[in-house]
Amino acid sequence: MATTSAAAPPRKWWQVPRPLQKVFDTFPLLAYDVNALPGRAQSATSGDLPTLYVFSTEEEALLGAPSFNPSCLKWQAFLKLAGVKFQILPSTNHASPTGALPFILPARSSPTDVPSPIPSSKLHGYALKYGTSNPPEVSALRLDAYQALLDVPIRNVWLQALYRDPEYTDLLDRFYITPASSSYWVRGALRHQLRRAAETEILKTGPGGAASTAISLLVDEHSVYRAAVNALEALATLLSESKTGWFFGAETPSMFDASVFAYTHLMLKYMSDAEGEVEGEKGYILASRKLGTLVRSAGSGELEQHHRRLFELLWLADSNAELLDAKA
Amino acid sequence: MTLELHVWGPAFGLPSIDAECLATVTYFAQTLSAADYLLVQSSPSAVPSHHLPALYNPSTVTWISGFDPIVTYLSTLQPPSYHHPDVTTLPSRVYANSQAYKALLTSSAAPLLALSLYVSSANYSETTRPAYSAILPFPLPWTEPLAVRAAMAARAAHLGMSSLDTDAEMERLEKEEREREAAGWVQIPKALRKAVGGQNSGVKGQLSPEMKRRIKLEGLAAEVFDVLGEVDLLEEEDGEEGEEEAKEGGARIKVTLETKCLAFAYLALMLLPEVPRPWLKEVLQKKYAGLCKFVLEYRRKTFPESGKVLPWADRESDPAVSACDSALSIVGRFVRAVVDDIPMLGREWSRWWALRQRRVAEENSTETQLVIRRSVGESERSLLLAGAGLTLLAINVVGLGIYWYRYRGLLGAPLQTWHRPLVGLGSFGAAGAMFAGLA
Repeated sequence: MATTSAAAPPRKWWQVPRPLQKVFDTFPLLAYDVNALPGRAQSATSGDLPTLYVFSTEEEALLGAPSFNPSCLKWQAFLKLAGVKFQILPSTNHASPTGALPFILPARSSPTDVPSPIPSSKLHGYALKYGTSNPPEVSALRLDAYQALLDVPIRNVWLQALYRDPEYTDLLDRFYITPASSSYWVRGALRHQLRRAAETEILKTGPGGAASTAISLLVDEHSVYRAAVNALEALATLLSESKTGWFFGAETPSMFDASVFAYTHLMLKYMSDAEGEVEGEKGYILASRKLGTLVRSAGSGELEQHHRRLFELLWLADSNAELLDAKA
Repeated sequence: MTLELHVWGPAFGLPSIDAECLATVTYFAQTLSAADYLLVQSSPSAVPSHHLPALYNPSTVTWISGFDPIVTYLSTLQPPSYHHPDVTTLPSRVYANSQAYKALLTSSAAPLLALSLYVSSANYSETTRPAYSAILPFPLPWTEPLAVRAAMAARAAHLGMSSLDTDAEMERLEKEEREREAAGWVQIPKALRKAVGGQNSGVKGQLSPEMKRRIKLEGLAAEVFDVLGEVDLLEEEDGEEGEEEAKEGGARIKVTLETKCLAFAYLALMLLPEVPRPWLKEVLQKKYAGLCKFVLEYRRKTFPESGKVLPWADRESDPAVSACDSALSIVGRFVRAVVDDIPMLGREWSRWWALRQRRVAEENSTETQLVIRRSVGESERSLLLAGAGLTLLAINVVGLGIYWYRYRGLLGAPLQTWHRPLVGLGSFGAAGAMFAGLA
């Protein structure tokens, strides 16, 4: 007894109890080899092409169609402008290392290579590095001011229309709710969360999304729409000053064109009035609250024209053009 | 017809402490004659829209709030009372630029101002808070400035400068400390920690958070001021000089009157208050002399020290004002603010209250130009609240059931006690009874 206690380590609680020791002795520790990735993982994570993860549907992603999320679409358009070859895959915010889409996973150089994802904050540098054509850098100080137009009134009206307008509940469901869950209750909760988040975002810039310094409780929808009408009008005026048809008179489309396109494309595609409907005067437009109609009637149609040119340049020149055209 | 303009009260030698209110007052002072409107010192909880500035038109019983909506509403009024700024002569690009710069002021200048006056603890407690206390009636300084500060901090959150708020920073450190203690990490005594290289040693420890972040702050400020510097804010003042400048420096961007008012409001609140940590003021004075000149001259022109006086409402004589300033309504506002602070439920309640007040205001209004469409969010929210209520009720019912089941003996009491009967003479039948009587 005395000998065993001398041999034992001084701190008794490190000792494995005897019965457990016996159990472990019968089962020798064995490390299995790492499982191979499932076959589709190669193509689903990253293949020969860099992969841009965006909000999209399976079919549309195969076609490389425009994403339905404005910030994803902005980067998708910009990467295309820069001449980067990439594929897109549908994803959600939960998959992103930064918690927000889009991000890009570079191509693998070897099968065991693990490329690290590039978040959207570094996508600009990535596009310039790997792109074939450099989009022009516009360095007008006015650019910042006009960028603010996109960040405040236009973003607010997009949030208001998609998330808070009962007319677009179906659209919201199709974009973000239905793919996420099939349960009625989960969908309801998700919808409520999204709506609440959108409302908070709008209220950060004031009840009308106009200049304001304090957060208030309720969204003033009328002012949100009116601010957006003014903003679209301003963008159309800016565009009409340019001789080349791109913003700030650039020779080829720039980042700012991509940002504007991201909103105008979605507004025109998903929120337009039915074909052939008469476009009345401003009062009617405000009452109808169709964002596509607002885009179309801004200025003398410059924004719609800009959208069409950019869409033709980026998407219809592709091999998938017929398919996309058929879908649209 | 006298319009009532409800705004935050004066501070720092300016007619209002809030940038948007200040811009509106500046705009009114230039486009309306003083006889046509009345300035009412107020706070958001006193107006139906819960947002200042708010314009009340008694002839149509309409409330309009927010700088842009008010300016738009004014332009629908008839000229005798309202002098239109020369709108017809301006080219459309001026409008476009004005819209853009207004958006810029909202998205960038407002967070900057929030950092300087509200997020920075030193500036807030030395300057902003006393200013609010001076303009609010008694119990309200306990609630309203806090709400404003929270809102401002949220606006500036994306700049990542929360360390300027030393109160919050200390709280965070203390919380970490407690967590470390709870997790059982080794504790270094406080006295030792300082010597080893804690927060208070060395040059870095002596610096205020504003000084530590000075370079980043200056960068943030420069982003905004560089862009604003492009704008031809002082064009009317310049006269002949302006023409020369235009020849030299090429086209400077021209903007409308309302954008100038808004720019003046933000810049004045950055430049004029006397704050203990004047980083924003220093940046302005050192590098952007043009903007400083604009603020001072615009102020001299719009609010001359000897000259026209702003038509502030008289508290005693004006019935409209004394009604919203009565002791009862102030207590009501205070109680609402306190209720709003109840976690989870308070916010919902005040939203409901604000919505109701807005509905009432809209129904009273005789103008039909407003298009009112109910958002689904509202009905859904009431459903949610009803759901939460039902759940609570269900939990209560189930709890009550369990209580009855356990303690009220629906199936008998949970604890059965059996007392052994006392063995007395009575238990021995008739004979026992006989003897019991004897005992």
